[in-house]
Amino acid sequence: MKKSSSRRQDTSTLTLRLWEFTGTSMLNLFIWIALVVYLSPLTYMLVTSLKTASQMNDAKAPLLPSQAEMYTYNGKSLLVYYVPTSTGIRQLALEEKHIKYSLFVDPADPQAGLIRWDGYWGSLKHVYHTQLTLANFITLWTTVDYPHLLRNTMIVIGLGEIGVLCSSIMVAYGFARFRLPGGKFLFFLLIGTIMIPDSIILVPTFVLFGRVLHWSGTFYPLIVPQFFGSAIYIFLLRQNFKTIPRDLDEAAMLDGAGPLRILVSIILPQAVPTVVTVALLHFFNAWNEMKMASLYLGTRPDLQTIAFSAQSYQSIGFTPEALQAAALLLMVIPLVVLFLSQRFFMEDMVIASVEK
Amino acid sequence: MQFQIVRRAARPRLRSRNKRYSLSRYSAWMGFLFILPWILGFILLKAFPIFTALGYSFTNFRMLQPDQTQFIGLQNYITFIHDPRAWGSLIRSINYFLLTVPIEMIAALALAAIFSSDRLRGKRLLRMLFFMPSVIPAIAISFIISGLLNPNSGWINELILKPLSLPGIPGRGNFFQIVLALWTIGPGFLIMLSAMLSVPREIYEAARVDGAGPAARFFLITFPMISPAVFFSLVINMISSFGGVALLDRGLPYSQSLSPMESYISRQLFSGEYNLGYASALAWVMFVVVMVITLILFYSTRFWVHFPEEESNEEI
Repeated sequence: MKKSSSRRQDTSTLTLRLWEFTGTSMLNLFIWIALVVYLSPLTYMLVTSLKTASQMNDAKAPLLPSQAEMYTYNGKSLLVYYVPTSTGIRQLALEEKHIKYSLFVDPADPQAGLIRWDGYWGSLKHVYHTQLTLANFITLWTTVDYPHLLRNTMIVIGLGEIGVLCSSIMVAYGFARFRLPGGKFLFFLLIGTIMIPDSIILVPTFVLFGRVLHWSGTFYPLIVPQFFGSAIYIFLLRQNFKTIPRDLDEAAMLDGAGPLRILVSIILPQAVPTVVTVALLHFFNAWNEMKMASLYLGTRPDLQTIAFSAQSYQSIGFTPEALQAAALLLMVIPLVVLFLSQRFFMEDMVIASVEK
Repeated sequence: MQFQIVRRAARPRLRSRNKRYSLSRYSAWMGFLFILPWILGFILLKAFPIFTALGYSFTNFRMLQPDQTQFIGLQNYITFIHDPRAWGSLIRSINYFLLTVPIEMIAALALAAIFSSDRLRGKRLLRMLFFMPSVIPAIAISFIISGLLNPNSGWINELILKPLSLPGIPGRGNFFQIVLALWTIGPGFLIMLSAMLSVPREIYEAARVDGAGPAARFFLITFPMISPAVFFSLVINMISSFGGVALLDRGLPYSQSLSPMESYISRQLFSGEYNLGYASALAWVMFVVVMVITLILFYSTRFWVHFPEEESNEEI
C-alpha cells in the first residue's frame, strides 16, 4: 500500500518535471527564434554590401553575394548563361548576340565550335558562383575621406560629451541635494521640457545661431547647447543621486568639505554606472545626430560627420545600392560594437534601479 | 518616476541625522548655482525660442527680406486652415503616433513579461541583442526596408511570397513604420522589465495561494504595480513618434522627420522661401497638438496609473 502510493508520487513528480522541462525549453526556443526573426533584416545590409553593382542590377541574380561566371574564348571574356537545349539545360558562353538566335561556346568542350541556339539571349539566366567582394568598401575608402569624417565626428562627440556630462551632473546634484525654493516647480518644468517638440524651437534657434551669432558652417551649434545640460540625462542622474545615502555627505561635511568637493569625491564615485550610461546614451545620440548637422554643416563638406556622409550617400540619386549598404554599414558597425562591448549600459538601466 | 517604488522598498529610511550637517545648511543660492546651467539653457534655448516663435507667427518674416517684416495678425493661421497639405501632414503625424506607439508598447510589455520569467536562460545576452536595433539609425532601417520590399529582388518577395505563391507587396505602405516601431522598443522594454523585477515576490505567492492564474496575476498584480513605468515609457515613445529625442536619437534630419508635420515645417523654411513666419505658425499648431495629447495622457493616468505616494521632501 505504502509502496504503491510512493511510486505514484514518483511518477507524478516525474511528469511534472518533464512538463516543466518541456515548458522551459519551449520558452527558450521561442525566444531565440523570435530573436533571429527580429534581427534578420540586418543581414540584408551586410549581404548587400558584399555584392557587386552588376549583381544588384540583375533581377534574376541569386540572393547571396555572387559573381557572374566568365569564360575566356579566343582572348575574349564571355558571360556564361543557362541555355535550355534538347539535351537539357547546359551552361554555355555567349559568343555572338542576335535577336532571333545567338551563337554559344561550350566551356567544357571549346573544340566543338559554335553552337547555334534559337531565341532571344536576353531571356536567359546568368550562371553565378557565390563570392564575396570587398570592392564597395575599397571604393568608399578611396572616395570618402573616412579619417577626416571620424575626426569631425569625434570633435563633436568629445566636446559635447564633456559639456553635457559636466552640466547635467551639476544640475542633477543641485536638484537631488539642495533645498531650492520652488524646486518642485523647477523640476516639473525640467520634465516638461522633455516633451517640447523640436520643431517649435527650430525657427528661433536657426535665426539665433545662423543670423545673430553667425555660427552656420561651424561646430558651435552642435556643441554649445550641450553645455546647458540635457533634461532627460538630468532626470536619470538626479533619480540615481537621490538613492545614494546621505551619511557620507554629512561625514565629509563635518570634515569641512564644500559642496563641489562632496559631489566629486563622494557622490560621483558611487554613481559611476549611471554616469557611464548617460555618457553612452550621449555617444549614441551624437553619433547618429542629423538635425543640427544638416541645418548648420550643409554648406561645409569639410566639416561633415560620419552620419552626414552616410545620409548624403542615401540621397544622391544614382548611388549603387551596394555602395549605400557599405556606407551605412561603416556607420552602424562602430555603434553596434561599442554597444555590445560595454558593461554598464544595460546593467545599469535594469539593475541599478532595482538594487539600490 | 518608476524608480521611486524601488527605492522605497529596498532602502531603509535613514532619518537619524543631525540636521545641522546636511547640504541644506548651505543657503538656496548654492543650489541655484548648481542648477544655473539648466536654467540658462531653459531660458535661452527653450522658453525664449517658444515665445519668439509665437511672435514670428504673427508676422510675414522672411529670412531673405528681414526689413520687410510686418505684423500680419492671424494671417498665417488662416493660411494654415486653407492649406490642405499642412492639414494632411498634421493628420499623418497623429496617425503615425496612433499606429506606432501601441505597437511599441505592446511588444515591449510582452517581451518584458517573457524576460521576467525565471526559466529563461542567457538573459543578459538576449536582453542586449533585443535592445541593439534601438541604437541603429533610421536611415539604415529605411534602406533595409526598401531593399527587402523591392518588387524585383526583395527578399520578402523571393523568400516568402513567391514560394507561397502570394501576390507581391506593391509599395512600402506602413511596413517601414511598423519595423521601425518594433526596432524602437529597447528603452521601454528595459524600463518596464526593471519595474517588473522589482515587484515583491510575496505578492505573487499570495495570489497563487488564492488561486489566481497567470493572466489574472499579470493584469491584477504586475500591470498595476508597474503602471508608472508603463506610463514613463509611453511618454518616451510619444516624444519620439513626434520626431523628438527622448532617450535615443534615430538620426533623421528635419526634412525626413518621422513626423510628417515636422518635415513640412522644415520644407516651408528651406525650400527657397525661408518663410519663417508661416513655419513658426505651423510649429505652434504642432506644439499645441502635442501639448494637448500630453495633457490627455497625463489626465488619463488617474484611471490606470498607480503612482507611489510622493516621497516627502523634508529630508532635503
